Amino acid sequence: VSDTELRVSQDQSPTQKFLFYFLKLMHVLNYPSKGELPLLPEEHVQDSAKDVTYICPFIGPVRGSLSVTNYRLFFRCTDREPVFGLDLPLGVLSRVEKIGAATSRGDVSYGLACKDMRNLRFVHKEPEDSLKKSVFEVLMKFAFPVSNNMSLFAFEYKQVFPENGWKVYDPLAEYKRQGLPNESWRISKVNDHYELCDSYPAALVVPVTITDEELRRVSSFRAKGRIPVLSWIHPESQAAVVRASQPMVGQNGRRCKEDEKLLQAIMDANAQSHKMFIFDARPSVNAAANKMKGGGYESEDAYQNAELVFLDIHNIHVMRESLRKLKEVVYPNIEDSHWLSNLESTHWLEHIKLILAGALRIADKVESGKTSVVVHCSDGWDRTPQLTSLALIMLDSHYRTIRGFQILLEKEWLSFGHRFQQRVGHGDKNHTDADRSPIFLQFIDCVWQMTRQFPAAFEFNEYFLITILDHLYSCLFGTFLCNSEQQRLKEEVPKHTVSLWSFVNSQLEEFVNPLYVGYPSHVLFPTVGIRHLQLWVTYYIRWNPRMRPQEPVHQRYKELLAKRAELQKRVEELQREAANRTASSSSERAGSPTRSITPVQTFV
Amino acid sequence: MFSGKQTKPTFKSYLPPLQTDLKKSPQLPIKKLEAKLLPGEIVVNEANFVRKCIGAESCQDDLWGKLVCTNFKVSFIAHNSLPRQRFQCTHRLLGEHDIPLACVEQVVTVNDVKGKQKILGSNQKLKFNPTELILYCKDFRIIRFRFDEAGPESAKKVCLAIAHYSHPADPQLLFGFEYVGKRYHGSTGERVNGVDPGGGLQTPLFDCSSDWDREIKRTGASEWRVCTINQGYFISPSLPEFFVVPVSLADQDLKQYACCFYSQRIPLWCWNHSSGSALVRMSNISDPQQQRKVEQRISSAITKSHPLRSDVFKSDLDKNLPNIQDIQAALLKLRQICVIDSFEESEEKWLSSLESSRWMEYVRTFLRHAVEVVYMLESRHVSVILLEKEDRDLSCVISCLVQLMCDPHCRSLHSFQGLIQKEWVMAGHRFLDRCNHLKRNDKEESPVFLLFLDCVWQLWNQYPAAFEFTEVYLTVLGDSMWVPVFSTFLFNCPRQRAEHSRDFASSKSIHLGQDQALCFPPVWDWSQQFSLKDQTLFNNPLYVGKIATCVQNGTVKTFTHRRSKKNYSSTLRGLPSALRNGSLGPNDTLARRNSLMLRLRSDLSQVREQQETPSERFVRDFFSRPVDLQGLLLPQLLPSHLSVWKLYFLRWVPEAQIPQGGPITAFHKLSVLTDEIEMLQNQLRQYQGAAGTPNNLHAEHSKMYFKATSTPHQSPAPPEYLSSSFPFSPVGNLCRPGILGTPLSKLLNGAKIWLSTETLANETI
Repeated sequence: VSDTELRVSQDQSPTQKFLFYFLKLMHVLNYPSKGELPLLPEEHVQDSAKDVTYICPFIGPVRGSLSVTNYRLFFRCTDREPVFGLDLPLGVLSRVEKIGAATSRGDVSYGLACKDMRNLRFVHKEPEDSLKKSVFEVLMKFAFPVSNNMSLFAFEYKQVFPENGWKVYDPLAEYKRQGLPNESWRISKVNDHYELCDSYPAALVVPVTITDEELRRVSSFRAKGRIPVLSWIHPESQAAVVRASQPMVGQNGRRCKEDEKLLQAIMDANAQSHKMFIFDARPSVNAAANKMKGGGYESEDAYQNAELVFLDIHNIHVMRESLRKLKEVVYPNIEDSHWLSNLESTHWLEHIKLILAGALRIADKVESGKTSVVVHCSDGWDRTPQLTSLALIMLDSHYRTIRGFQILLEKEWLSFGHRFQQRVGHGDKNHTDADRSPIFLQFIDCVWQMTRQFPAAFEFNEYFLITILDHLYSCLFGTFLCNSEQQRLKEEVPKHTVSLWSFVNSQLEEFVNPLYVGYPSHVLFPTVGIRHLQLWVTYYIRWNPRMRPQEPVHQRYKELLAKRAELQKRVEELQREAANRTASSSSERAGSPTRSITPVQTFV
Repeated sequence: MFSGKQTKPTFKSYLPPLQTDLKKSPQLPIKKLEAKLLPGEIVVNEANFVRKCIGAESCQDDLWGKLVCTNFKVSFIAHNSLPRQRFQCTHRLLGEHDIPLACVEQVVTVNDVKGKQKILGSNQKLKFNPTELILYCKDFRIIRFRFDEAGPESAKKVCLAIAHYSHPADPQLLFGFEYVGKRYHGSTGERVNGVDPGGGLQTPLFDCSSDWDREIKRTGASEWRVCTINQGYFISPSLPEFFVVPVSLADQDLKQYACCFYSQRIPLWCWNHSSGSALVRMSNISDPQQQRKVEQRISSAITKSHPLRSDVFKSDLDKNLPNIQDIQAALLKLRQICVIDSFEESEEKWLSSLESSRWMEYVRTFLRHAVEVVYMLESRHVSVILLEKEDRDLSCVISCLVQLMCDPHCRSLHSFQGLIQKEWVMAGHRFLDRCNHLKRNDKEESPVFLLFLDCVWQLWNQYPAAFEFTEVYLTVLGDSMWVPVFSTFLFNCPRQRAEHSRDFASSKSIHLGQDQALCFPPVWDWSQQFSLKDQTLFNNPLYVGKIATCVQNGTVKTFTHRRSKKNYSSTLRGLPSALRNGSLGPNDTLARRNSLMLRLRSDLSQVREQQETPSERFVRDFFSRPVDLQGLLLPQLLPSHLSVWKLYFLRWVPEAQIPQGGPITAFHKLSVLTDEIEMLQNQLRQYQGAAGTPNNLHAEHSKMYFKATSTPHQSPAPPEYLSSSFPFSPVGNLCRPGILGTPLSKLLNGAKIWLSTETLANETI
C-alpha cells in the first residue's frame, strides 16, 4: 500500500537492493499503468471497476481502477505519475462497510478495516443499473469466504516450491533432538486419535512413571483435557519446561490424586532439584475468579513441593483492546507532541514487558535454578505458548535459527492448539468476535524485541518476522489455518494447501541475518525494562510514507562480505601467479621475496 | 570514633547494618597508597580508610582505600581492586575511580546518625562530621563514599576540599593552566605532557586564514573572502581573528557595520552549498534605527555572492527553538528519570516522564529546523541567514546539523572535528559559561553541545554507515567537556583564551617563546586521553570498510564511492533534475519570511487536510528515493523514529544493561569483518609492487578495535565482557542514595527482579 511514489530502476546497486527491501515491507508493487495484473496460479479477477477514488490519508484522494480477485485487491492509480498501487490479500480485511448514504452525485464511501494496522477508504459511484453489483459487494463476498460458504484461497493456490514445508516439523525427530524418550520420560500414544484431548498433538511426552490410564484421569481434571506434558528438557540438568491448562479446582477445592502424582513425577524426573515452580500466567485475581467457573490454580496443600507464581499477564480481551488503541495512535498519523504518553496509554509495551518478564523468569528457573517448571494460564493455548516459546528461545539456541524457529512455531503454537482460526478470524466477517486477539502478534513482537537486544544471536532477520505476520492474515498458505492439529488433519490442510515454510525455505537468503553468530549452548537473558523495549515501527508504522525503515546494517554487512570475497579471489590469483613465477625462476634465484608472504587464509 | 555503638537511628539509614566481616578490612597490611599525579597537579587533602560503594544491594563488593582531592580530580586509590573487573577503557589522565573536579555537579555530605545532609559549595562550613559523601557528576554518574572507618576530621576536611576546589574562583584556577604551564618550565622545545598543538593533527582548527581559505575553495565559495580586520580582537571581542565575508563588502564597510551588531559580531559565513547558496550566521542588530539599512546591505552583499543572485532567507532561531534555559531544564529532568529516580518507579511512567522532560522534543525541534534550512538551500537555492540574538548557541547547533546533512565531507572524523572547531570554538560558543566550569552562574549553564551531540547521534543512528565515527566517539567527546585541560571546552571565545593564557603566563613568569599564548591541547589530540588501541573504538567499521581503498580500478566498483570527496560538489549537481527542479512547482513562489515556521507548526493538521507544504513535499520526495550515503541525508522526524541515546544516558544504570547484548555485538562482528578486509588489502598491496613491506604491519595499523582471529571459517563469538554499556561500566559508578534504606525485596529492583540470585551471581562476575 503504499502511498509513496516509487520508481524502481533496473540497476541493482546496494541502495537499490535496499529499496526493494523497503518496498517488500510496504508491499509496494510497481505496476505498469496498463496491462495485465500479476496473478498467482489459480487467482482470477472477479470484478473490477474504473473511477474508484482511494482516499489516501497521507497524500489525499487518488483516482484509479480497482480489481478484486479471489485472493486480493488491486488498486492502480491512473491520475498520477509515477504509478503506484495498492495490493493487499483479502485475508487482511477484518471489516468492509459502506459509510453513510450516497451523495447527490451517487458517490458511496466504503471503509476497509485491516488486521495489519491500517484502514482504507474508497469512494465509488454506485452502478446505475441497480441489478449490477458494486465491486465492493463482490469484495465483501471474497473477503469473507468462510461466512459465504466458500473455501479459503489457500485451498486453491497450487504453487509448487522446491521444498515441502509440511515436512519441517516431525515431533519425534524434535523430541529425539532433545534426547527424548529417556529413562524418565516416554512418548505416549494416548492421544493418537485425539481422544484424550482434541486440541493437543498426537505425540505427548510424559514421565515414565505415569500410565496412560492415569493420564486419562488427569485430563478430566485439567481444563479442556490439556494435561501437563513436556515441552522442552534441559540437556544437562534435565530440568523440564512443562505446559498445561488450569486445574479444575473450583470453589470447593477439588483435588486429583493422579494430577498430584504427575506433577510429583515431573519433579522427580529432575534429580537436581527437590522443588518445582508452577507459573500461572494470569494475574492472581483472575486466577481466583476462575474458581467460580470451576477452574483455578494449584493449592499449596495439594502440591507440596511446588511453588506457585503468578505472572500478571492479562487476557485476550485486554490485549485486543490494547492493540486497538495502538492502531489509533499510529494510524494514519502520529501526533507529534504527545507521542510517548499516547503510546504509554495503549499499554502495549507494558504487556510486551510482562510477557517477556514472565518468560525470563521461567528460563531463569530452568537454567540457573535447574528446576523444572509447569506453565499454564486458563486454557493453556494463549499465554502459555507465548511464555513457553519465548523461554525456549532464550534457553535453546536451536530455536533462534530459521528452521528451528519454524519448528518452534509448529510445535508450541500449531500442534499444541493455539486457536489461530478463532484468534485471527480467517475469512470470517464477524469482526466483533470476542475470540479474536493479537496473541501471536504479541509473541512475534517479543521475539523482535529480543532480536534488537541481541543483534547477533538470531539467524533470521526482521523481514522473516514480518513475512510470518503478513501470511498469518493472507490465507495464501495453509500453515495458520484451523485451530488444532486434529482439525488440520481432518481438513487435510497439508494435502490441499501449501505451507508457508515451503515458500520461506525456498528463498532462505532473503530471511538470513548476516550478523548471526551461532554460538551454541548460549542462554539469552534479555533486559525487560521498558527503557529497552521499543515500538516495532517497521511493522506498526510501515504504512506511513514519512517512515522509511532504517537502512539495515545487514545490507552493509552483505556488501562487506561480497567485498571480502572479491579481495580473497584476487589475493589467491596473485598468489598463484607468484607461485608460478617463483617456480619458473626458482632454478636461478632460490630465495625469492614472495616466499615471505604467508599463505592467504580463506574465510568463508 | 565511628558509629560503633549504634544508637537507634532517628533517620532513615542509608545502609543496612554493617556486616562483621567488613570490619576486618581496614586492618589490612598498610600499603602505601599514592595518587597518580599529572604535571602541575598537587594533592590538596586526603582521607584514609574510606569505602567506595560499589553495589547498590550490599556493601560486600565495596572497596577500601584512600580518598584524595587534588587541584584536578577526586581520586580514590583502592586497596583492593574490583573483583574481576569487566572491560574498561583506560584513560590516560584519569584512573579507574577518578572524577575530574570539573565533572562534579554537586557535593553532598550526609551524617546518617544525626540525620543531616548538606550540599556543599565553595568556602562553606560543615557543622557535622560526614559519614557519607555523594558526588553527583555532570556525566550522570553518582558516586558514594563512606567514612565509617575514617577519621571524622579528615573526612570533613576532604569533603570541604572537594567542594572548594570544584568551585574555582577564577578561570585560571582551572587545572588546564597548571598542566599546560608546566610544559614551558621544561627545557625549551621539549614536549612536556605530550602536548602537540596542531602539529601532526589532521583536524583544521580554523585559527588561521589558511584553514578558511581551504574551506572556501573546497565549497566553491568564490565570492567570499577571508577577513582579517579582527586580528588582535580589535573589532569584536567574541569573534575569531579570521572569518569569512562576502567579497563585495570592504573592510571599511564591515568596520562601520560592526558597531550595529550585538557584541560587534559581523555576520559570519559558515558554508556554501554546491548550488552557490551560502549559510551565514548573524547576531541581532542592536541599533533599531540602523537595522533596516544594515540588514539590507548585508543581504544584498550575500545576494551578490550567490551565482544566481538568489534572495536571502532569514531563519529566526530565537523564535523557533527552545532557549538555553529550556534545554538545561530538560536535561535536569532527563537526568532525574535516568539515574536519580529508582529504576522500578521510573519504569512505570518512563515514556510519559521522558516526554515531559521535553529533551527528545527539543532534539527533534532542532533537527526539524535544520531540515527546513536544508530545504531552503537545497531546493530553493537561496542563501540562509541564521539569526540569533547573540549568535553563540542555537546557531552553532543548526549550522553544524545543516552541514552534516548536506555535506558528506563533514561526516568523516577529522572534518567533523573541524566543523565543531569552526562553528563552536571559533564562533565563540561560551563553553566556559555553558559548562559552568566556575559554578558561578547556574542561569548560564546549558547543555547546548550535548544536545547537538544527541542530534548527531540521531542522524548516526538512522544512517550508521554514513559516518566515519561511532557512538562511542560521540559519547567520549561529550565526556571530554568535563576534563578541563582542552582548549576546546575551556573558554568562551578565542579572545578569552588568548587573554587568560597571556595573563597566566605573565603571572607565573612563563616565557612563551614563539607561542603567542599558552598552547592548550585541543580535545582532538586524542592521544592525550586514550591509547591508539582504544582510539580505534572511534572507527566505524561500516564506514571504514566501505571506503577502504579499492583494490584496483573498477574491480569492486560497487563498493567504492563513485565520486571521491574532492569533486563532492559535482555530486549534488549530478542529481536527477527532478530533485533540483521537481519541488519548485509553478505555484511555489518563495515563502514569505517567517511564514515558513508557522506552516511547519501546523504541520499535522495540514497533513490531515492533504495540504503539503513544499518543504514537506521535499522531505517526502527524499524518502521515496534510495538514499545516497555520500549525498544529502535527512533524518526521519516522526517522533516514533527518534530514540533515547542509551549509550550516553543509560550506560551507568546497572538495571538497564544488557549483558552480552546490545548494538555492540553487531559492531563486534562488523569490526572483525572489516579487519579481515583490511588484512586482505594489505596482502594485495604487498603483491602489487611493495614487496619489501614487512608482513606484520597489519596488527599495528588496523583501524578496528576487534581484530580478525587467526581461525577462519568460524565467526568469533562476541567476548563475554561485552554489554550494552561497553566500553563503560556501571560498576561503582551509579549508587543512588536512598536505595539502601529500602527493604530487601525492593533492592532487587528493576529488570533484575525477574532473575534468580544464581543468575545474578553469575552476572556480577
